Formats: sequence, structure tokens, C-alpha cells
Amino acid sequence: MPHHPDYQKWEALATKLMKGKPFSSLQWQTPEGISIKPLYTAEDLEGLDNVNSLPGLPPYVRGPVATMYAGRPWTIRQYAGFSTARESNEFYRKALAAGQKGLSVAFDLATHRGYDSDHPRVTGDVGKAGVAIDSVEDMKILFDEIPLDQMSVSMTMNGAVIPILASYIVAAEEQGVSHEKLTGTIQNDILKEYLTRNTFIYPPGPSMRIVADIIGFCSKNMPRYNTISISGYHMMEAGANSVLQVAFTMADGLEYVRTALRAGMNIDEFAPRLSFFFGIGMNFFMDIAMLRAARFLWHRLLQQFEPKDPRSSILRTHCQTSGWSLTQQDPYNNIIRTTLEALTSVLGGTQSLHTNSFDEAIGLPTDFSARIARNTQIIIQEESEICHVIDPLGGSYYVESLTNSIINEAQKIIDEVESLGGMAKAIESGMPKMRIEESAARKQARIDQGLDVIVGVNKYQLKDEKIDFEIREVPASVRDEQVDRLRRIRGTRDQAAVDRALAELTKAAEDGGNLLAAALPAIRARATVGEVSDAMEKVFGRFVSTTRCISGAYASEFQATSETLAQLRGRTEAFLQGNGRRPRMLVTKMGQDGHDRGIKVIASAYADLGFDIDIGPLFQTPQEAAKMAIENDVHVVGASSLTAGHKTLVPALVEELKKQGGEDILVVAGGIIPPVDYDYLYERGVKAVFGPGTSVIDSANRTLDLIEKHLGPTA
Amino acid sequence: MQKDPDYYIQGVLDANRLMLSRTITLVESSLPAHQELAATIIERLLPHSGNSVRLGITGVPGAGKSTFIDSFGTLLTELGHRVAVLAIDPSSSRSGGSVLGDKTRMIQLAASEKAFIRPSPTGGTLGGVARKTRESMLVCEAAGFDVIIIETVGVGQSETAVASMVDFFLVLMIAGAGDELQGIKKGILEVADAIVINKADGDNVQRAELARRQYETALHLLTPDNPLWSPPVLTCSALEASGLLDIWQTVTKHRRIMTDSGDLTRRRARQSVDWLHHLLSEGLRSWFYNHPAVRDYLPNLLRDVEKQSLSPAAAASMLLQKIYR
Repeated sequence: MPHHPDYQKWEALATKLMKGKPFSSLQWQTPEGISIKPLYTAEDLEGLDNVNSLPGLPPYVRGPVATMYAGRPWTIRQYAGFSTARESNEFYRKALAAGQKGLSVAFDLATHRGYDSDHPRVTGDVGKAGVAIDSVEDMKILFDEIPLDQMSVSMTMNGAVIPILASYIVAAEEQGVSHEKLTGTIQNDILKEYLTRNTFIYPPGPSMRIVADIIGFCSKNMPRYNTISISGYHMMEAGANSVLQVAFTMADGLEYVRTALRAGMNIDEFAPRLSFFFGIGMNFFMDIAMLRAARFLWHRLLQQFEPKDPRSSILRTHCQTSGWSLTQQDPYNNIIRTTLEALTSVLGGTQSLHTNSFDEAIGLPTDFSARIARNTQIIIQEESEICHVIDPLGGSYYVESLTNSIINEAQKIIDEVESLGGMAKAIESGMPKMRIEESAARKQARIDQGLDVIVGVNKYQLKDEKIDFEIREVPASVRDEQVDRLRRIRGTRDQAAVDRALAELTKAAEDGGNLLAAALPAIRARATVGEVSDAMEKVFGRFVSTTRCISGAYASEFQATSETLAQLRGRTEAFLQGNGRRPRMLVTKMGQDGHDRGIKVIASAYADLGFDIDIGPLFQTPQEAAKMAIENDVHVVGASSLTAGHKTLVPALVEELKKQGGEDILVVAGGIIPPVDYDYLYERGVKAVFGPGTSVIDSANRTLDLIEKHLGPTA
Repeated sequence: MQKDPDYYIQGVLDANRLMLSRTITLVESSLPAHQELAATIIERLLPHSGNSVRLGITGVPGAGKSTFIDSFGTLLTELGHRVAVLAIDPSSSRSGGSVLGDKTRMIQLAASEKAFIRPSPTGGTLGGVARKTRESMLVCEAAGFDVIIIETVGVGQSETAVASMVDFFLVLMIAGAGDELQGIKKGILEVADAIVINKADGDNVQRAELARRQYETALHLLTPDNPLWSPPVLTCSALEASGLLDIWQTVTKHRRIMTDSGDLTRRRARQSVDWLHHLLSEGLRSWFYNHPAVRDYLPNLLRDVEKQSLSPAAAASMLLQKIYR
């Protein structure tokens, strides 16, 4: 019982206002398992070691820089890239002219996975969710008229990190910019790829060596360049709550530090160039506290390595507003969501920020939506007068207490990871992925029951959704253009020089030479991204992930008495009685899109509802998916697409099913699919499209309707 | 739904993948009409079956069964074999539904035209699985698959059920999981025709070798089922595809010995007899519980036994008396 002199008076007043409901019902249990009280007082600050520090000084809770935004506001760094290098370059130059300060490049999935645009496995992916880069020639076009000695460039690249970083360096060389002048960040965070996004190429061992090689090369030759951006963002997008996000990100960071130390580096040589990247969702105070807690934790965790340079244990971070929180329904609401999330990032003390465009649950950003997104930040910086005071929430009873709770909860998980032998071992055990997927399934169950509100999706829905804005489409010609340029490059280069350089790279992979240094001559000689990746794959092999799936988490978020759950389980049970087996569905992701939160949630939830679910491996071709559907004799295939491959890959699946004799197997699609494309898919035999925000209960019922209608009355 | 058995039979004999798959669906169905149709089909396919190497594979969770089957099966297809994999997946006991993820771990094999992979949910009843798997195996043989691999989870009673329908039962283990014999029941070792220590790669090679010797010692303590065959302990790495050929050669050597001695024929004959007994007791059980007398009296007897006013033995005897009359 708090001993504020008036506390009891307040509680009596409050209880009276509760009109008979118990006072304890004002407590809120967050998904992180933190219990939140309705009121915090000075006493909640007692004994907290995160309170009462100063910015720029340990433990850096209040900010990594002494002056913070009072001195200079955060960098507005919008992540963008689509179709061709030419088009992306034009977009960047417009953005820079309109007040953006740094560049952040999004690559397409073919590039991420180390495939050239003419590779047969990537026909649906080229130029879709980012820019296609096949060689240094593309990279030069990407940065045309953008001076790389002045512009800080961030690149989201993890899988094909060697050829891409080498292409960037060579493109700069050919602009006349030497290595030491380059500033920016390469994401280079491969561990989280095994956890969430799956854009890896090689197995974890060689991948960690690549990370060490890049840290090694850059700390010698590119002292102003951030060699790694340790990313929690993708974990949040995959469903991690804020404690999981911060804990696994810290644990990833520790693993990288140990990797660099094992490679013979000194902590102060590289730790100051490590940066972070967090995802910011709709839980406003939670994520403010998360950023503050992250800085505290990183500082504390780094002390075991005894750094001499204070910069070694300072956490600097980029933030991005949550793409998952955007809705396809009533999409202008997304501007408001993004504004709140931007404010969270700012009050949490981020160093740079990307704000999403409101149309990203529907398609790629247009000039219009990109302007609104950019202006969201500019207005906070230049109109709201927020920047004058450093860490304005420092000392807040609630925020400080919450910061402390996150520190403690996250530390428990970090300890658990450490006890498994660090993050690489933990990932092998499957623990972090299972935790994240469980968190995602629970979230979905709360949304489906209306416990977590999403305006326009499960509350205040619109009767008629009308889209009154332009939607950007990626022209199909992108691939042709890339394939053309590849042919020209391969036709005009000195092939013998390329072969020699690639052989040297393969040798470096075998002997342990620095891979980035060894890749530079190959890139200079016009070897392609795919060829450079292959030269290393010869030694390292290509990694195949195993898919595990949790069960029971979705259903356990429902009350035991839930009628919705009982109704659906009754339906699948009746289906079993009538048809001799349960409704059976194959969920698949085709192409190079590794965003598997959706299919994992669907698989786990549908199984909880009484379906038999087959999960296809990642990166399937339509032909492979059709073969699997037929061998498993499923009633329906659910194809998930989040990266704009739906118009090629889903109709191709329908065709393949026909070709292999399974034309009576239904096909439904889900993911980020613009409503304007629905008809295109229906005309090509797709039976239903489930956009973002569809409740699982809803989609399961509709899928059952489709199957039952298709099978006709049972005996 | 096609009701003509010829439609399925012809399709299976033509090695049509879709027809094979649909026939297995009938075999697995819980509907009496489907089961009848399936029985007719199986009866007619029977003369075309039996010409495969029937291989059962089990192992503790984490032993890498699926990765092993992926690499091993791929090797067999490269040797010219046609490989069918029947994987048994446990269902959730609460919802009855299940997630069947096995193919995600058999990526190479799943894409091969020479392979057919079918994961099946247990649906909660192991007895049912045994029937379905046995019959699905026959259908695959009739479709021309010459190696049938039956994969089971390494817990529960499914292993012994599988061991009783295959020619060769392989138990997959890994080293370094603490106590080397942890989690594996003695009963499984007794039915094993070979033990394979997987994941003998990287810095794990020595530990795998150590585990191999420990299992060898453990197996020596058991009396072999057949004097002609003492189950060997081998090592392999499914990841690096090493040691796999040795395993296949062990399987073929076993087959040669068992064929020459007539043990293979005897083993299959014994399995058929066991299977008949199994079907009889299953049928009796189902007949018994559906008997009107049982339905009438059993609830009262249950209540009395629960109240301890009647002994279980007396209750059983009373009920059986009712049926005898």
C-alpha cells in the first residue's frame, strides 16, 4: 500500500466512481506480462537504477547524445526502393529535395537471396518489394548524381551482403570517393533472418563469418561506416511483443560482439560502430519505455567486455513505425497510427526514423503517400516544439517504472538465451522463433475476439470501402529490363578476369581470407550479385530452414466457454463426420518472400480450430506447391504473398494444379494484396482473397463454406 | 467423389500421382462407405503389392528424422529407386486438428518426380494409424514405388505398430543429448534392425563415434531376434549427406540374408498373422461395446464400480455373462 498521505482518500474516491466494480479491475495486464496500475506515484521510482541519470552519460537511459534533439533533431531517413535503379534514383532525389536527410535502400527479394534477375526461381520477385540490383552498373545508376562522400546511405541487406556492400564501395570508387569517406549503415544482421524474415543464403556458421569479415574490413578501411544494424524491427513485425523484441535484439548484439572478439578484434575497435534498429508499434508508453530500457541494457551488458571507449556501450538506434499496424480498411487511419508511432520513437530518443506511408497495406508508396509520411516527421520536428527539451518523460512515475519493468523482464529472457549458449545456439534450439510465433498467435486471437481494438477492422468498420487514391504498380517489364542489362554486361566484360576474380573469392571462402576484400575485384570486373553469391555458395552451401509450428496458443487466448471457438470446432467436427476426414489445407509461400508470420498464425490457429494443415517449405515454386497439394490430397491451398508477387505466382499455382490433374483443389490467397487486384485473381480461378485485417475465424468459416459448397451435400 | 473402384485401381496401377493420393484418402477415411470402397480396391491391388523394401524409421524428437529421410531418400532416387514416404503426425488431442510440417523438412525429396510424400494425421487413435499406414503402403507398392519409408514420431506406441509392418526398422539417434540412452525405450532397441547416430558432422564427429560405441555395447546385452543378424550401429550426417550409402548397403545386405534364409517371407507371414489377430481383437472390441446388452448395462456397472459397491472383476464377469447368453 503506497504511503502517500492522500492515497487512501484517492482510492476511496476512485472506488466510489467504479460503481460496484472491483477496484482491481483497473489493473491492466500487458501482452508482455507486465501488470499496469491505473496510477503511479513518486514511490514507484524508489530504488530504480534507471532513474536520475543524464543524457550522453551512462547508463544512457535519457539518450545517447548530451544535447539530443535540442542540439540537432533525429535524421529523417525514409526506407524506399522499387523496381529499377533508375526509378528509385529519381524517387530519392525528389525526397532529398523535399527535406529528407538520409537514404535508406530497399532491395528486392531476388537480390536479398543472392539471385540474379534472370534466375528461374525469382520470376515473381524481381523489382517487387524493392529495387533489383544485379551488378555495380545498377548500383551506379541507383546513386547517380548523389554524392556518396556526403550522403549517408543505409542499406537493408543481410543475405547478399558481400556483393551488395562491395557494389556500393565500387560505385563510390567510380564516383571518385575513397573508402574512408563513406558514411551510412549496412543492416548485416543475419541472426534475425533465421528468426523472422528468412532472407538468408548460407548456413549460420559461414554467415557469422561474413559478419565478422565485414566488421573487420570496415573498422580498418571505413571508420565512419556502421557495420551492422542489430534489428528488432522484424521480430516485432513477426509478432514479438516489446519485451521479446528488446531481449532478442540485445542477445543478437551480444552474439555479434563475441563473434568479432573471436575474430581477434578489440572491443573498442568495432563496438562504437554497432547500431540498432527497433520497430515501434501502437502501445505508446510501452515502446517509449522499450527504447529507454534498450539503452540501459546495452550499456550494462557491454561492461563484461571491459570497453575503455565510452562509445562502445552506447546504443544508437534507427526506428521504424510498424508496417504490421497498418490496415487495408479505412486506410487514412494509418496516417494517425504512424503519427503516434513516430511520436513514440521521438519521445523514446531515436537517432533516425522512418515513417510508413498510409497505403502500404495496399501497395507500394506513391509520391503522394511518401510526402505525407515524410511530412509527419517534419511537422513533429518543425511545428510541435517538441525538440527543445531532452527526454521530456524522464522522471515520469509511469514511464520510469515501465522502463524498469522492461529491463527486468528482458533480462530474464536474455539470461535464458545465455544459458542456451548464446543466440546462435538458441536459434538452433528454435526457442526464440517459437516465442515470437506464440506471441503472434495470441495477438491474433485477441484481435479476433475484439479484445485488442483495431479501428476499421474489428470496430467501427466501414460499410463501403472505397479507394480514392492512386496505387503504385510495378510494371512487369522490370524483369525484362534487368535481364537485358545482365545480358549486355555479360557480353561486354572481360570474362577471363571475372572467372579469375570469382575463383579467388571461392578460395578466400575456403581459406578464411576476408570475403569483402576478396569480392571487390570481382565486382570491379563486373561479376554479378548472383555470381559473387554462387562463388561463396560453392563452399558454404545454401541454408534450408526447418519449419516448426506451435499449437494451442491461439485457442488458449479464448475463454473456455467461447462460443466462436466452439462453433468452428463443431463445424470441423461435423465435416469429419460427413466426409471421413478433417478439412485439409496446404499453406504455402511461393517465390523468395520469407515473411512467414501470416502462414504460421494461420497454420497454428486453423489446427486449433480442427483443420489438418500442411505447411509448405519456404521459397516454393508454384509447380512444387501443386505437387505437394496433390500428394497430400488437400481440399484447399492457401497462398500467402506479402511482397507483390501475387499476380504472377498465385495464377501460376492454379495453372499448375490443373496441369497436374488437381483442378478440383481450391485456391485462396492472403496477405498484402491490393483490392484492385482481387478481380484479376478471381478471374484466374482464385476462390477467395483474405486481405490484412481478416479475422482468422472469418477466413476459416469462409474457407469451410467454399470447401463444403465445392464438395456438395454429404451422404 | 468417384465411387467406381476401377477408377482408382487403374489410376494407381498407371502410377498416377493424383489417383494414388486419392486412394490413400479413401484408405484413411473414417466413413464406412469409403472404407468399404477402399477394402475392395486394396483387395484387387494386393497381387500388385509386396515388391518393395519396407523401411520403418523412428527416433527421438530432434534426431533429425525428416532431414535424414530427405537426404537418404534423395540418395535412393539417385540410385534409381522410386521412394514413397508415409509420415505419421500426431494430432492435437483437444481440437483434433494438426499441423503437418514434415514436407517442409524434406524439400529436396518433395520436389523429386521419383518421390511421393504423404504425411497423415493420427486423428488421435494409434490403432487406426496402423491400419491406414499398412494399407497405404500396399497402395504405394501397387503404384510402383520400390522403397517405402514409414516415419513415426519417437514417442508413444506408434513405433512398435510400425515395426510390425516393415522389413527393416531403423532407429535414428543423436549424440550429446545427455544420457545416451535417455528417452529411448528398451523395447524400441529390441525391435531395431539398425541404429544410426545422425549429426556426425562438424565438431560432433567424435561424440557421435562415442555414442556409436555405447549403443553397440548396449545392443550386445540384448539377444538378437534373429541369429543371422546382429543389428549394427552406424553413424551418418544427413546434413552433409555422408554415411548414407553405408546405411543403404546395410539395408540391402539385411534383405539379401533374410531373403536367402527365407526369413523375409516368414517375417511378412508372421506380420500378416499378427495383423489378423489385431484386426480380430479390434473387431471384437468394437462389436462388444456396440452390443445392446453392453450399452444397457455398462453405465450402471460403471457407476457401481465407481461407488465401490461392486468390484471391477465382478462387474466384468456379470457383463460377459450377459453376452454369453
